[in-house]
Amino acid sequence: MRLFQNTQEFNYPWDQVTAANWRKYPNEVSTHVVAVDVLRRELDVSGTRLTSERLITCKQSIPKWLSTLIGSSNKSFVREVSVVDLNTKTLTLKSCNLTCAHLLKVYETVQYMPHHSDLNKTCFRQEAQITAYATISTLCNRIEEWSVKRFGENASKGRQGFDSVLQMLSTNWEQRDKLVDELSTKVAGTVDEIIITTDNLIKETELKSTSLISRYSKQIQRAFNFGN
Amino acid sequence: MGNVMSASFAPECTELKHEYDNCFNQWYSEKFLKGLSMENECSKQWYAYTTCVEAALVKQGIKPALDEARKEAPFESGGEPSDSK
Repeated sequence: MRLFQNTQEFNYPWDQVTAANWRKYPNEVSTHVVAVDVLRRELDVSGTRLTSERLITCKQSIPKWLSTLIGSSNKSFVREVSVVDLNTKTLTLKSCNLTCAHLLKVYETVQYMPHHSDLNKTCFRQEAQITAYATISTLCNRIEEWSVKRFGENASKGRQGFDSVLQMLSTNWEQRDKLVDELSTKVAGTVDEIIITTDNLIKETELKSTSLISRYSKQIQRAFNFGN
Repeated sequence: MGNVMSASFAPECTELKHEYDNCFNQWYSEKFLKGLSMENECSKQWYAYTTCVEAALVKQGIKPALDEARKEAPFESGGEPSDSK
């Protein structure tokens, strides 16, 4: 398991930032986010605490044979639960990937709160916990199940496919740790890389606060992408 | 931002989603943030939209993964994983 942290400041008041949070997609920075849906939304009895559950849909580009194998399509999904609390003046978002969750899980917590001395500013804090689960044997079992189902009685063909997949898999699996390390270095370096090119609220907040899950979806996919 | 709104993962629900989003965004800024609301409004739009989404989640096979995630990090606890170490 690996942990990451990032903090930022925005030159906009907290309430504006929280309103923008509901309408930040689509935008020109995060073009991989193709859809956002609200699955559940509840207001507490005092009318000051709003909890929402959203489904974020991202485009994904993994080889077809691999997506068949791990049971995902060309879309990947992230579930997010957020709480806007007017009493504590916080917006807290917790998200986790639904796609490939048995292989790799990214739990992300993001919090927006007013700046302690300047009410026209908002502080942003991001934390992520990345855990890789799969072992070579669990993946092999999945491939076996898949290949049995797929090829049925056509045993020799199935066997052949299985062998080549295994071969590719073992070669690339060794690189997985390296890729996860690469990913962690990248996330840690992000803060320095951010350049504010515009004072547009959406664009600025998006550049600084893009979900780690979606921002690094390519790297995460690469860790399981044996085809290229 | 303007009038551009995100689509639904299910194209057949996008229009219903936009109707709900329009209502919600207005409610959020004009009422909720000002502490003027005691109820979650837009229930008519919400009902139409969520009925569409529920069916699509099942149809597209997303429901099992979603249920698993809900068990692990309940809505009621603000999405905090229940077994967080």
